[in-house]
Amino acid sequence: MKKDSLFYTVLVSVVFAFLFVYLLSLAYGATKGKVEENQKLIEARAYLVAAGIEVDNGMDIEASFNSSFPNFDTESAYQTTTVKGKSVVVSPFKGNGLWGTITGVIGLTSDLRRIVGFEIVTHVETPGLGGRIDETWFKDQFKGEYAEKGIIVKHGAGGGDTDPDNGQVDGITGASRTSDAIQVIVNNQIDILKKDLGGMN
Amino acid sequence: MNDDSPVQILKNNIWYSNPIFIQILGICSTLAVTNNLTNTVIMTVGLIFVAVFTNLTVSLLKNLIPRKVRMILQTLIIAFYVIIVDILLRAYLPEVSKSLGPYVGLIITNCIIMGRAEAFAQSHGPLISMWDGVTSGLGYMWVLMIIAFVRELMGFGTLFGITVLPAGFTPWTIMVMAPSAFFLLGTFIWVAKTIILRQEAK
Repeated sequence: MKKDSLFYTVLVSVVFAFLFVYLLSLAYGATKGKVEENQKLIEARAYLVAAGIEVDNGMDIEASFNSSFPNFDTESAYQTTTVKGKSVVVSPFKGNGLWGTITGVIGLTSDLRRIVGFEIVTHVETPGLGGRIDETWFKDQFKGEYAEKGIIVKHGAGGGDTDPDNGQVDGITGASRTSDAIQVIVNNQIDILKKDLGGMN
Repeated sequence: MNDDSPVQILKNNIWYSNPIFIQILGICSTLAVTNNLTNTVIMTVGLIFVAVFTNLTVSLLKNLIPRKVRMILQTLIIAFYVIIVDILLRAYLPEVSKSLGPYVGLIITNCIIMGRAEAFAQSHGPLISMWDGVTSGLGYMWVLMIIAFVRELMGFGTLFGITVLPAGFTPWTIMVMAPSAFFLLGTFIWVAKTIILRQEAK
């Protein structure tokens, strides 16, 4: 068969495309369980962090999750639990970042006055810039932050805002759009919870 | 010396025709990932992996591929290996996969891989093509590591995430952002070219 003929060209293209995609689907299928397991662990860890529970590397996240959220309700928009005698409302959030969806989990005191914990689960922000929302110093700023009137992500010096009473956290230098997105997402989530839990106050 | 001897290929890819500062390939990732040494290492290791196997595959299949569609098939092969890297990271190194995010996918657009597949693997045997992939990747790696070293040190005061500069150090914000990679890369090319020109003059 002539190598430059139309038939041969189409045949080779189709066969190669099929072959490589088939191999990919095999690889995907083989690792699917493992990937889902990892994702579950990341989410479980995020719930624990959001509830204000200290998570260290050696701990059994699954066991700790099951004991902290014994009545986990997948239908509900939020979970309630008690950590160190205080009741906490933990809810997963979702919103638009600069490049794509940012998902995570946020925990608030049951009167919705203060944030207990904040954790990012997935994001596709620019590594090194917006991607730094996933760094500990950034997320730690939310711990204990006064949030009754929402929070403000401000253009700070980049070192983190340590005052928990001003309702402000430092944004990421060089990533204003992602920082603004976080402000919108967090405030939206607080509003949603206020509506859902309105009767409780 | 023969241009295709393994030693000469090593010398060419590491220095005399380095993909970054002579061929000026793969610059987008040079600008993007080099503000952090850890991400740079993972990115370059990923690139070496993809370059090696793409070169091997292209070299093995070169006689079967019609000229008209060879570039699109090269892209298919590159995309295949990049997705494999992504899948492996997701399954076995979830933390790394999380921090690297969309940049693994961007290896596909790295011109070094396409360039080496087209310029080398198309006309050479499988083993030497793999060697070319390794050395091209290393040539990319060492330049990026130096740029990332300066950027992370000046931009965050850390190396591999460990604080090394005293607390009083004010981080240079510009080093975290893409423009600093332009300045550093420009300086790097200037220094490297000066050395090469001096060597040639002798």
